[in-house]
Amino acid sequence: MASTQHVLLSPAELAYLHAALSLTPPIRPDGRAPAQFRPLVAETGILPGTNGSARICFADGTEAIVGVKAEVERTRLVDGATAGTEWKEGGSARGEGEDDDGGDKAGDSDWVELTVEIPGYRDDDAGTAFLAAMLSEALLADGAFAKRLWINRRFHWKLYLDVLLISPPLSYPLPLLSLTTHLALLATRLPRLKSEGDEDPFFDDDWAAARHLFPRSSSSTTKESARPPVTLLVMAVGNNIIFDPAKEELAVADVALAVSVAEDTTAAATTAATMDLDDAAAPAARSLRLLSIRTIDPPSRLTPPGVPNAANSAYGATTAQKQPEARTAEAEAVEGVWRAPRGGAKPLVMAALVQKVLEKGGVADEILDALDAVDLG
Amino acid sequence: MPLDTSAYSLALLRVDGRRWNELRRIHAQIRTQAAADGSSYLEIGHTKVMCVVTGPSEPGSRRGAIGSTGGGVGGGAVGGGAAQSKGAEVAVSIVIAGFSSVDRKRTARGDKRILELQSTISNALAASLHTHLFPHSAINISLHVLSQDGSLLAALINAATLACVDAGIPMTDYVAACTAGSTSTYAANDEAADPLLDLNHQEEQELPGLTVATLGGSDRVAVLVCESRVQVSRLEGMLAVGVDGCKQVREILDRVVREKGRRMVQEGTVEKGVGLNDMDVD
Amino acid sequence: MPVTILAPKAVRVGYGANPDHSDSEDSGSDPEGDVSMGLKRAAAGRKAAASGGSGSKYEIVTPGEVITDDPQWMRGHGTYVAPATTSIISSVAGTVTRTNKLLSVRPLRARYTPEVGDLVVGRIVEVQAKRWRVDVGSTQLASLPLSAINLPGGILRKRTETDELQIRTFFAEGDLLVAEVQQLFADGGAVLHTRSLKYGKLRNGVFVAVSGMGGGGGVVRSRRQVWTLESANGGGPVDIVLGVNGYVWISKHVETPEGLVDKTSGITNIEESVSATMYSSQNDRIGPETMREIGRIRGVVTALVDNGLRVDEDMVMRGYHEAVEMAMTSGEGPEDIYLGGERGEQLAAALTAV
Repeated sequence: MASTQHVLLSPAELAYLHAALSLTPPIRPDGRAPAQFRPLVAETGILPGTNGSARICFADGTEAIVGVKAEVERTRLVDGATAGTEWKEGGSARGEGEDDDGGDKAGDSDWVELTVEIPGYRDDDAGTAFLAAMLSEALLADGAFAKRLWINRRFHWKLYLDVLLISPPLSYPLPLLSLTTHLALLATRLPRLKSEGDEDPFFDDDWAAARHLFPRSSSSTTKESARPPVTLLVMAVGNNIIFDPAKEELAVADVALAVSVAEDTTAAATTAATMDLDDAAAPAARSLRLLSIRTIDPPSRLTPPGVPNAANSAYGATTAQKQPEARTAEAEAVEGVWRAPRGGAKPLVMAALVQKVLEKGGVADEILDALDAVDLG
Repeated sequence: MPLDTSAYSLALLRVDGRRWNELRRIHAQIRTQAAADGSSYLEIGHTKVMCVVTGPSEPGSRRGAIGSTGGGVGGGAVGGGAAQSKGAEVAVSIVIAGFSSVDRKRTARGDKRILELQSTISNALAASLHTHLFPHSAINISLHVLSQDGSLLAALINAATLACVDAGIPMTDYVAACTAGSTSTYAANDEAADPLLDLNHQEEQELPGLTVATLGGSDRVAVLVCESRVQVSRLEGMLAVGVDGCKQVREILDRVVREKGRRMVQEGTVEKGVGLNDMDVD
Repeated sequence: MPVTILAPKAVRVGYGANPDHSDSEDSGSDPEGDVSMGLKRAAAGRKAAASGGSGSKYEIVTPGEVITDDPQWMRGHGTYVAPATTSIISSVAGTVTRTNKLLSVRPLRARYTPEVGDLVVGRIVEVQAKRWRVDVGSTQLASLPLSAINLPGGILRKRTETDELQIRTFFAEGDLLVAEVQQLFADGGAVLHTRSLKYGKLRNGVFVAVSGMGGGGGVVRSRRQVWTLESANGGGPVDIVLGVNGYVWISKHVETPEGLVDKTSGITNIEESVSATMYSSQNDRIGPETMREIGRIRGVVTALVDNGLRVDEDMVMRGYHEAVEMAMTSGEGPEDIYLGGERGEQLAAALTAV
């Protein structure tokens, strides 16, 4: 799934970057710590015509805007069973291939439609389609999201998320789009329902009475995730794990992963995570659940290798080099000479990476806390 | 009906409280995106658009930015041939977000209306930009529509102009655009109907209107688009009102650019130039 | 703190009677001062506009504005003459500059325009039959003909077909090089050459692109574009190349390889030995201290650009010393090289205060 932009760098630069990132601790080009994110600018509520909107600009100039609109839709009845009658605890899983009750399964994934627009790319381009699939998969993974859209047995909300990348894609846009989507969903509000039961729904005209899709109350009696998921881009060079990679760092990655996490508020997890509701001073310990890990083909695989001095005819070596010698020369790694990484991710590295993301006080916690703090004005 | 009610003839106020010759609130900013060559953000009332300009740069290397409609280059002076043009090629791409209108609507790829808008804007800017200074290059203009409430083409043209000024592309003058309409429908056949300036969405749907763009504050019209039926006797009045509105728009755009420039000079980002007043003969 | 999320900077509305209500769009990486000062400035600006009319107080001209009607002036870049009149009209938004009788307008921001004699850093993007096409951040790609490079070993000979077939052994796509603009085509495209020992392929370091050339921040043409600085904390000598086109290269000082230097060498031998390493893509061994200092310098350059200061030798040197001191006084000592965001603003403030 090579959905990354090809970054043009010389073999000498690539070798230098790789060497710098392989040190302990790694020296990143802009001097950040391995788990430090670049400062970003975030705001919500920029589009009053939508149910929720957000805009995030990264420090490298990439910018994305997400708008959420909701429309009331009649629920399809399937096979005589009235839709929405049975809601299994924990929700139904993703729509593909899992056996579950009648209409809920089809209803879940159909009630959310997510489209991604990237300037210059068609919407059926492979890269764009994958981004849209990854973002919506993370959203629907726990199956509980669709429950928030239920109005009554005959109607539900259909949520349209339109993700726009404003700047041309200078670096892999997945983390930017994911954070912006997360923020837009946090800011989304639905009008308050005034009708009762299964009658045709009508709503309160007062927008101030509208309630958030993801309410902020700390009451953890609700069984759904209190927050939408977030997807992070993580890469590894040797044994170093690096978060929020810039495009030149991605160009030398041994392995790059997109990790989706969400809060886990199932019953078992809430008792395990010692949440004390009365103690307002203590931050609520959040237990996180890994939703998905996807490997991303780093652009490093497409880079041409450097030529070691011994084989460089411009360096004085004779051009009449025998073929087998040349082949063995290529197979060995010469220090200072760039070679595209071969092979996949080491399992130990993957495990360490997941651990780092999910641990208490780890990266995912920090991100979710920081996004929480954004004013939803 | 926005104007058929008696309210108009009594107080001569439109639904949003404006008189016949008042523009809506225009808010504009340039340099909204640091990574791009030129960028701008423009609001006319509730119509909000963003524009990003890349270039002039090598054509082909930015092929991706040409049109989300796949294949079709939005207008420009180049024919189908592979020959290098004598001037820069202006390629426009427009993305209308699904959440821009009241009902969420996904615009199909290759939508004719979008293609036409792209072509119009490309021709309008090519008329003003000094493209002969950059042969063998391309200027890519990428527009995003965030919210629509009438006067879409006018807003797009203004935003594109601002972004090109921000990118430092030499041009003859600003291309300023606005819409004008008439207070009664075609069917009413009212010869004495007043013209209106700057139509919002509701007015655009029900009343005849046109979009006009001029080159700077002069009377030279660069763009004139009228997609509704109107008696020709009313047309001149609408056009005059529109051209006058364009003058006002040009002033507003100019103020935005000057303010930005002033700030840059004050902060030392840009060195002060020579005063216009002390151009003495040596 | 690993994650910093900032609120967008509010835009000060300094024009018209429009109050600024719901839109607080970010103005990018604009070096905005603090809000209250800005309002005062905006008020001053409005007064100036009211009295000066065409904004002459700050000498900003905008497209379509008449600069002068006097026929004795000649027009330069950024202006045009309206047909059938003698008035010189600005075609970009920028400041007016005057040299003798030549009037030109320098835009607030524009792409790099090559001039003969500029020292530029470029990246090869295309390899053609007898030349390379180089991206120098300008409106067109520059060309580097095969005949304009030095052959390794100081050989002087005519370029043959073998050279053309092996053109990629010299420079391949993606390679960075430092070169000088030899001449310009009629349409403004540049022709480069690397016929000097100080030009050639770059290695052992990092590349930074500084945008916003042409008057606003960015790299300025100054006396010295290439120099070596002795870095702190045991980093050793570091080469810095400030390309006029805004592309900057920072690297460990490239020494001549010991194996090729003959102890009793004369001048020609030195040239030969130095130029033998010219096309190498193999980095030397670089220690972590040097890498750290290189990272620090890169941070200094980026901080200067983000805060709207010009980038030249003087500013970079001062910025570097300031950054070393800042790292010393901060908690982590010399290992702390991060200069983004607030740290960068701190650095810029310290430099402008001096």
